[in-house]
Amino acid sequence: MKLSNLSKLSKLSKARYLSSVLSLIIMISSIGIIFSHGFNWGLDFTGGVVTEVKVDANIQASQISQLLAAHSEQEVSVISAGEPGRWVLRYSQVDAETSSNIASVFAPLTDNVEVLNSSIVGPQIGQELAEQGGLALLVAMLCILVYLSFRFEWRLASGALLALFHDVVFVLAVFSLTQMEFNLTILAAVLAILGYSLNDSIVIADRIREVLIAKPKMAIDEICSSAVKATFSRTMVTSGTTLITVAALWFMGGIPLQGFSIAMFLGILIGTVSSISVGTCLPELLKVKAEHYEVKPISDTP
Amino acid sequence: MSKQNKAKILNHYSAWKYVVLVVTITIMFFSALPTFYGEDSAIQVSKDAGLKLAPLALQQQLLSSGMNVKRIDQSDGQTLIVLGDNSQQAQLKSLLAERVQDPSELTLMLAPSAPNWMLSLGFSPIKLGLDLRGGVQFLLDVEIEPVYKLHYNTFVESVRQFVRDESLTGVTVQQQVGDRVQITTSDSGHRQVLRTFISQKYPNWQLSNNGANSLSVVLSAAEKNNIQDLTVKQNLQIMRSRIEQLGITEAVVQRQGEHRIRIELPGVQDPAEAKSVIGATASLAFYQVMQSNSVNSKTLNDEKGQPVSVARRAVLGGEHIVDARAQLGEMGLPEVVIHLDRDGGRKMSDFSRANIGKPMATSYSEYSRDEQGKISQTTEVISVATIRSQLGDRFSITGAGDYASAQQLALLLRAGSMTAPVTIVEERTIGPSLGEENITNGFAALALGMAFTLLFMGLWYRRLGWIANVALLSNMVLLFGLLALIPGAVLTLPGIAGLVLTVGMAVDTNVLIFERIKDKLREGRSFAHAIDRGFDSAFSTIIDANITTMITAVVLYSIGNGPIQGFALTLGLGLLTSMFTGIFASRALVNWVYGRDFRRDVKV
Repeated sequence: MKLSNLSKLSKLSKARYLSSVLSLIIMISSIGIIFSHGFNWGLDFTGGVVTEVKVDANIQASQISQLLAAHSEQEVSVISAGEPGRWVLRYSQVDAETSSNIASVFAPLTDNVEVLNSSIVGPQIGQELAEQGGLALLVAMLCILVYLSFRFEWRLASGALLALFHDVVFVLAVFSLTQMEFNLTILAAVLAILGYSLNDSIVIADRIREVLIAKPKMAIDEICSSAVKATFSRTMVTSGTTLITVAALWFMGGIPLQGFSIAMFLGILIGTVSSISVGTCLPELLKVKAEHYEVKPISDTP
Repeated sequence: MSKQNKAKILNHYSAWKYVVLVVTITIMFFSALPTFYGEDSAIQVSKDAGLKLAPLALQQQLLSSGMNVKRIDQSDGQTLIVLGDNSQQAQLKSLLAERVQDPSELTLMLAPSAPNWMLSLGFSPIKLGLDLRGGVQFLLDVEIEPVYKLHYNTFVESVRQFVRDESLTGVTVQQQVGDRVQITTSDSGHRQVLRTFISQKYPNWQLSNNGANSLSVVLSAAEKNNIQDLTVKQNLQIMRSRIEQLGITEAVVQRQGEHRIRIELPGVQDPAEAKSVIGATASLAFYQVMQSNSVNSKTLNDEKGQPVSVARRAVLGGEHIVDARAQLGEMGLPEVVIHLDRDGGRKMSDFSRANIGKPMATSYSEYSRDEQGKISQTTEVISVATIRSQLGDRFSITGAGDYASAQQLALLLRAGSMTAPVTIVEERTIGPSLGEENITNGFAALALGMAFTLLFMGLWYRRLGWIANVALLSNMVLLFGLLALIPGAVLTLPGIAGLVLTVGMAVDTNVLIFERIKDKLREGRSFAHAIDRGFDSAFSTIIDANITTMITAVVLYSIGNGPIQGFALTLGLGLLTSMFTGIFASRALVNWVYGRDFRRDVKV
């Protein structure tokens, strides 16, 4: 990728290189953001109490806060939950008395309290869930690594892996920057992104391998570009339909699935871009060649 | 062309493949159907409950109390009251409690609302997770440490007793920090005697030399695991029988991890009531069996309700039982070996010496709180056995029936000596209205995503688009059908998210194939040949692309917990069904409609 060669390259190759540089910048700044901002860990990981209640729409957050402050020694955050009269009460520590007796706590304010849902998670469980989640992420990564290195040669596989890392880091960084709650469902989304991000990369890598075997003499950047071109409409259609359905989930799925849909949406979007940019450029940089793939007698090539 | 001459005719599927396809989709369709009718909350009044009213009168009374009663079924003395409004279940239970003789015979349940002919085919609706149904979930932590401690105390006591009995002087027995018992003596002869005693009487304890003058004894790791396993199992058993008391048929009581118990109570809206039941304690006692009506006797009932007269005072209580295990005795008869602590051993030894040949009764009592919070005790005789010889701190009781009953008794005995405190470490309550809201939102998102995808595919691929759409619809049918069929499969809110994602990704298989067909058409092939090559060349890519997602689904399923497992399940099943419909079903359709189309200027 020397500068002197740049003029000879096709427009598509230039675009790929440029977007790779951009992806690298995104990746590095994402890591920086994650380390500087950290995450807003959800109840699943920290332990504590979260109760969602429905009261009369004219009751203000400050009134609820005052009531709770009078009943509980710890600070309780009162967050609006989408529609008027619906509040999420979050206690940092398990406090069985107040949390299980919401009706009596609210009694001075109103008789009409409906507990929509309530979760009490001990601190020990929170830590275990966090460990389990980390383990799941690690095991999934390892399994994918094993599969990729078995199915593709390492140069091609490393491109897909870098793209994968890029996508996961990007989604995590968005959650870190916006301080959206990071809970178990978001973790599941991140794991699903692992699978989907690879999906695009693999389809392109498959094509690169196919062209490499069919036309061993072709320049590597042309091969990559032609593979991207050949799979481009497929990439757009599949990403398009998936994004549409995830968007439907985002708008219709209600609050419990909102974080999940946002994570999936971002992951699929960035996954599409990265499979074309870093996903193809890294193997090129590592000089993937036709001889890396044993040419077997292929009966079904024309 | 030689390959084609040898091989089958181009784009031809044999008739049996179509039969397989049609049969599969039809079965799955009928399996999926009951789910769309949903389920209604219901309460079952069993025969023994003693319902005081005829169904018609009951219906009128309930309707006038504002209950939305859908129907009342009565068969074989059992009455099922089905509600039209799921949030009224608890209210209905309290109303019914006033109208039956025994309120504990009321059972909360769900009744499928699909027509009877459909249910009689053996299909049932998809089971919904708590986040969709509403209910309470507890995660209990069983603390094993106190159980180990009890074993250590008994061991130390027993060794000290032995030292006294044998008059071994200069021996100290101490329990050290870090679960280790240290026996110190300068006399090597004493050490040898102690070694023999411990290895004979306590084979599960590990002996080692600790310096010149002392022995170090620890509970072996295998035995520790064994104790933990038995303790958790015994707690599971206790929880199961207690939840039965709550009258919830679809409750889940499961072991989670090494020392946790997960309890799911669908339909329960007040965690406080369930908590008091879960937290109740149980105990056990041994009694001398007396002539009925004799002085100082009282009457207890056995499992079948038959009265047994026993001495007013128990010989000893369950707090003395350290362990109980079932085994086959010398005569090949099943027996239960009971291990008492030192104090209990002495009491039992005194009692049994004086009562050889006489029967002894074992009773099981349970404390529980009723709905008003009052503590009540229920006692039941679980076995009456004859004393054959003087008993010590270890003895066996026979007459419990077959081996399975002996195991059950051992379990109950251990249950009686329940020494592992249980703490609730996680509690989640989902109100029924939120559950219904989640279902509505989830399925609205599914419908919208589906509509967009169908529209898009239809417009984009025109000629082939409808094939992708038929494949997608049959994919959904298969997925719902499978979810309803697979035992243990539960649909959760993240599970619905997995379904929505599947809709978006399932078309990928078709897109990959169609793009290949387009390529081949551009290369100048006829439509039929392009179809043949297109399907073949896309195949390995489809497999590669799906396997990575499958890996994450499997990892999520094996490591994740409840709701996340639901997501992994629909994600993984969705991949399988989408490959089936995308490759097999759509090929069958394409072959049938376009398989013999040899035009070269077809646009797709």
